[in-house]
Amino acid sequence: MSKFQTSIHEYLETLPLQTFNRLYQKPATCLAVFRLLPPLGKQIIMSSLYVDPPIAVSDMKLWFKGSAGEIKHTEAMQRLKALHIFEEVRGKYAMNATFLEQFRNALTGGGNSQSFGLATSTPDKYHVDIHFLDDYATKQWEAILHFMVGTTEGRPPCKGVLNLLGRSGLMTGGADNGGGGGDQMDARDFASQMARQDFGVPKITHKGFQFLLQDINTQVWAFLLQYLNMAESLNMDLVEVLTFFFQLGSLELGKDYSSENLTPTQTHLLEDLKAYGIVYQRKRGSRRYYPTRLATTLTSGTPVMLGSHTNATKIAAAAAAKKAEEEEEDDHGFIVLETNYRIYAYTDSPLQIAVLNLFVHLRDRFPNMVTGVVTRDSIRRALSKGITADQIITYLTAHAHAQMRKHSPILPLTVVDQIRLWEIEKNRLRPVPSWLYSQFSRQQDFESTLEYASELDVVLWSNQKRRMLCITAEGHTAVGAYVRKLISRHKELQAQQAQQSSPHTHHSPHVSSVAS
Amino acid sequence: MKDHSTTEDDSNLLVIVIDTNPFEWEHSSAPIKLNDALQHILTFMNAHLAGRHDNKLAVIASHVGVSQFLYPTLNDHILGSTQQTEKDANVYQNFKVVNDAVLSGIRGLLEDHRPTLEEKDLGSSKIAASLSLGLCYINQALKLDGMGHVKPRILVLTVSPDSSSDYIPIMNCIFSAQKANIPIDVCKIWGEDAVFLQQAAHITEGIYMRPSDPAGLLQVLMFSFLPDMFSRNYLYLPGQDQVDFRAACFCHKKIVDIGYVCSVCLSIFCSFSPVCSTCRTKFAFQPLLSQARRLGARTAASNPGSPKTSTPGTPVGTPTNLTSSATMAISTPSQ
Repeated sequence: MSKFQTSIHEYLETLPLQTFNRLYQKPATCLAVFRLLPPLGKQIIMSSLYVDPPIAVSDMKLWFKGSAGEIKHTEAMQRLKALHIFEEVRGKYAMNATFLEQFRNALTGGGNSQSFGLATSTPDKYHVDIHFLDDYATKQWEAILHFMVGTTEGRPPCKGVLNLLGRSGLMTGGADNGGGGGDQMDARDFASQMARQDFGVPKITHKGFQFLLQDINTQVWAFLLQYLNMAESLNMDLVEVLTFFFQLGSLELGKDYSSENLTPTQTHLLEDLKAYGIVYQRKRGSRRYYPTRLATTLTSGTPVMLGSHTNATKIAAAAAAKKAEEEEEDDHGFIVLETNYRIYAYTDSPLQIAVLNLFVHLRDRFPNMVTGVVTRDSIRRALSKGITADQIITYLTAHAHAQMRKHSPILPLTVVDQIRLWEIEKNRLRPVPSWLYSQFSRQQDFESTLEYASELDVVLWSNQKRRMLCITAEGHTAVGAYVRKLISRHKELQAQQAQQSSPHTHHSPHVSSVAS
Repeated sequence: MKDHSTTEDDSNLLVIVIDTNPFEWEHSSAPIKLNDALQHILTFMNAHLAGRHDNKLAVIASHVGVSQFLYPTLNDHILGSTQQTEKDANVYQNFKVVNDAVLSGIRGLLEDHRPTLEEKDLGSSKIAASLSLGLCYINQALKLDGMGHVKPRILVLTVSPDSSSDYIPIMNCIFSAQKANIPIDVCKIWGEDAVFLQQAAHITEGIYMRPSDPAGLLQVLMFSFLPDMFSRNYLYLPGQDQVDFRAACFCHKKIVDIGYVCSVCLSIFCSFSPVCSTCRTKFAFQPLLSQARRLGARTAASNPGSPKTSTPGTPVGTPTNLTSSATMAISTPSQ
């Protein structure tokens, strides 16, 4: 559960069919959902898009080659069904009619849904360029991140952001009780408290730390998903919110769009997104808005999973190379890590330094770089905040300097292994709720119980000599019943043979420590 | 493809070569009009672009006597900076830019009435030139990418019959593509099989198809030609059971079943000549076939470089032994 929910797929799959039917009424949404699918899922849709009768399940199986193809097919079909794009009806796959129609519209530009953003009819007197938008987005988004790591840079974000930070569990305290008067004051108070790190008050939760180590696209989605959860409780229409998100993803950077046709919900949404730096509006209530790069790359289809993070960044880098995105440049390729645990980071961004400070013992600071050492203490400090070794390693890999990328593996193995070892070291003890069975009077009873329990695979620990065994909490019902049966059988025997010895069970819950 | 290094994260660069030869499209027997076919092709392009945000597309028109980029156009940057087009809230902007560029490009080509065409160009389109343009474009795009995450492929949509004068340039393109690991897919929308392009698909492990019903072009494109290199590992796609391996001779550009092959440079000739026109090797012998002998004698008489004047230092060590290879037949598995 500690994994922060970042993926829009998982979220979408929890929605009911009715919501999907309404979502699919917009071609832009269909296109965005389509891009979230695995490659073969996309191919299945494309192959059947212009085939009118439903396709027999057995026929579709024939498209795929070998066992590898079959696995991919099943995976893809599962996703398609979860998103209600396909339905299996009497041995045939039928495509959702709304999706079919609107997706065709998306491809051919038909229909009149205006879901790809209505352009403004008149030129903007205060036209802003892409550079300005990038600056704006970076400023707004980094303000949030700065606030999270507690640097004093920039002004604290507005109430909406604080509220969201609190609700999402990225930060604790302060943010949640934003209801009282003087929000601005409240925020500043909170910020200054955050800045005084020696207080050691964990204002930022371990979820928050995990969040910081993700790439920007993932962070933005994480934020928006949280917003969706909040929207439900605020009685905002989920479909309208989602539609708007997907629409933003299809807009073009550097163009202005009219906000006149938006629903009241979406107008409200626009206000909030402005605070995150996802859209830009010159002033409140202005009739036009500009999507920033954060918005236009929303549905870019780059994987948001941690595992393929490096790849995604590389692709993003390739795609964005021509655009020379400042944010991105700051964001990757500045860390050099040596086998002697020294780290050199070519950055002057207080944010990056603050993030590094989470798990590196920083030594020197120069105008364009900082140096530090990865030590047992610094890693343990990070681990104690709930950051995992994998997250640290992924972060270092993703932000490795171009020189480092020439090596394979990118990071020195000694350091990576040591970081993992430090993590394992910390996890030597693991509490497991369990039940202790003891005082078996007969070796035979003990052995049969042990055998029964090990068949169920619920034994945590056992000792033949002392006739004791530990059973996991889940196994207790079954093993308990078994022991009771043994006892009752003994009682019968006792009655017959008038003997007195029976196994006693010790029925109090224990928390036993088991070496892992 | 044998290339297993494909992953889900690859972006695809698709270069589409459209044969816009008006002599074929406007032919009375054409089963589908260019306008309708273009609608199908544009939808297919959009489908390709819809797949991933970083999927790239280039469209080249192979017209009569000229071959030209439709998208990205010359004034655009190579990676397709968007030109100013009117926005339409109903259409995804990326689609619109491409579609408008392709349509206006083709309109421009068809309205261009400057027939600087020579007689021999008539009726054939510049497939070889378009393939070369496509390969150059891909090369440039791959260099710019530098990460190895762009997987290129070429799709040729053709209606024209083979022009045998194109044989050598097409073969050169095929081998370049093979070397660079770029599959060439070929869709012969109607008409006879295109011999050279069929070989192109075979050699580069692309897909060759001649749809049974050209009116259903879109479905064929979507089903067989859309899958990217990653998906192709898992899908059954149309293959070729029979490939026409006939070649065109180097001397008269005729497509031949049986011909003469130079033992040094492997050039193909439809008739015997005592000096190879490609590598200047001299053959100091007469071929065995009577017809060939006659032809040989005639050329020898008219040709000053006859075997008699050959110098001792010819690259061919024992010319008489070469008879068998000089008359080596180029067999065809079938027509």
